[in-house]
Amino acid sequence: MASSSDMKGFFRQKKKTTVGRGVGKSKANKAASFKKSKNSAFVGTDQVQPPALISHGALDLQDDYDSKEEILRQFDMSMAYGPCLGMTRLDRWERAKALGLNPPKDVERLLRAEKVNAQCLWDGRI
Amino acid sequence: MQDERFGIQKEMYRGQQYSQIYFARLHLMRTMLYSLIPNWKVHLPVCTVLGLEEGKECIIVGTIYKHMKLKPSILDEYSKERSTTPLVKPHNFVSSDDYLVLEDESGRVKLCGALLLPSVFVTGIVVALHGKETGAGDFMVEDILEAGFPHQIERPLVSGEDKYVVFVSGLSVGGSSSNPLQFQLFIDHITGHLGDEKEQSFAARIVQVVVAGNSVEYPRTLLNGQNLSSKDQSRLSEPIKELDILLTQIAAGIPLDIMPGPDDPANFSLPQQALHRCLFPGSSAFNTFRSCSNPHSFELDNVSFLGTSGQNIDDLEKYSDASDKLGFMERTLRWRHLAPTAPNTLGCYPFTDRDPFFIETCPHVYFVGNQEKYQSRLIKGSEGQVVRLICIPRFVETGTAVVLNMRNLECHTVSFGAEFST
Repeated sequence: MASSSDMKGFFRQKKKTTVGRGVGKSKANKAASFKKSKNSAFVGTDQVQPPALISHGALDLQDDYDSKEEILRQFDMSMAYGPCLGMTRLDRWERAKALGLNPPKDVERLLRAEKVNAQCLWDGRI
Repeated sequence: MQDERFGIQKEMYRGQQYSQIYFARLHLMRTMLYSLIPNWKVHLPVCTVLGLEEGKECIIVGTIYKHMKLKPSILDEYSKERSTTPLVKPHNFVSSDDYLVLEDESGRVKLCGALLLPSVFVTGIVVALHGKETGAGDFMVEDILEAGFPHQIERPLVSGEDKYVVFVSGLSVGGSSSNPLQFQLFIDHITGHLGDEKEQSFAARIVQVVVAGNSVEYPRTLLNGQNLSSKDQSRLSEPIKELDILLTQIAAGIPLDIMPGPDDPANFSLPQQALHRCLFPGSSAFNTFRSCSNPHSFELDNVSFLGTSGQNIDDLEKYSDASDKLGFMERTLRWRHLAPTAPNTLGCYPFTDRDPFFIETCPHVYFVGNQEKYQSRLIKGSEGQVVRLICIPRFVETGTAVVLNMRNLECHTVSFGAEFST
């Protein structure tokens, strides 16, 4: 998997604090290491998140991606413009234009002007 | 020089797979085939594979995939049942059981019919097929449209003097069977140091030398991954140093193009990048010296040349049958693709937005290096294209180089022997 995002962000860093991370884990330590992390499915334990659920340094429970990302994901999944993996979305759009496939101009506008994810939706997940 | 398309310096690997290059190839060639279909069969609908209906006569365009039982597959190592058929023949994997499938982005369909001989085709060619879907779900082929020879820019009719281009390949300098005297004889001959006045005036008319791959041969025992002693390290650099000394003698007098081959110190997959200038400290001092990619495309005096060091044709020989090597070469021109089996069975860079092996204009001279013997033919295309096909024999085995006269595209050989019979 080649992903241009930071590799460090892919594997969750352990030991951000030294509090409560002693060798012998007593109940007292567990209480002290209680961390409030939003979206965590494991609130109340210090069990480490398996790496598969973490993407781009954040937990991948982002269900409310916006409408712009939706348009771009439709573009990614469209068979007419070829495989999406291994190319930035803009490169794929440019290729579609060069091959005469008339890709939607909205997609180009979003990719050039606005702050959207440059990589396709499978990037870093496959 | 038109070799920019074969450079990979600007390419960046982002984890793409080979599906990208197949997509680019399909689109490039399908657009071109769509423009040819009206001249071929008008009034027939063109549809995608998924749009096929049983019994409806139509035209489909896609990439050919050839299923070959004997093609070695890494997965065979894991199969529980090993058949009793013998291990693969090393040279050719064609079997009478091979069948063809046509594929586009929507799907694939098995091809049947007596017209398409699987032994002629290989995976990776893009064609248009006229036929209809059968009850069994196959596509019965009635006719096939290949891309055909590309358009050729006409050569202005030249009268006047003969100008020669000399092709040589498979020098294998530094190898156990290479005879330094033989290549030295060749150099002396083309630089005009040998022969009478007639020979020297011939040598004076040589305008270009092309070395088409496999110029060095490394002792294989040193390349097994072990650490090398300093003595072995210097042994490893001997072949290329020897080659540079020899090539300097040529470059001092005649323009020289050198291409990498499968055994040379260049990247493995096509397109092979030019051998680095630091390998040729002597020859690269001359501006006549040009290190080129493989494939190599250039033009001299309105004659366009295109050639490879042999990998594309040798791979075709493993996966299809033809009467001779020139037959394979002619097919690649008819399919408008230099290396259709790349990336399936021939190593290739995973391009995403282009396919540099697509032949855009028809060359006047098409050469292939490192072949067993010299062969040449002048072929004509349907629109008046004229191409001189040349198979360059391995010099280390045959002592033979090929000479082309640019005035009339005629070819002959020069051979050098250095054995003394007892």
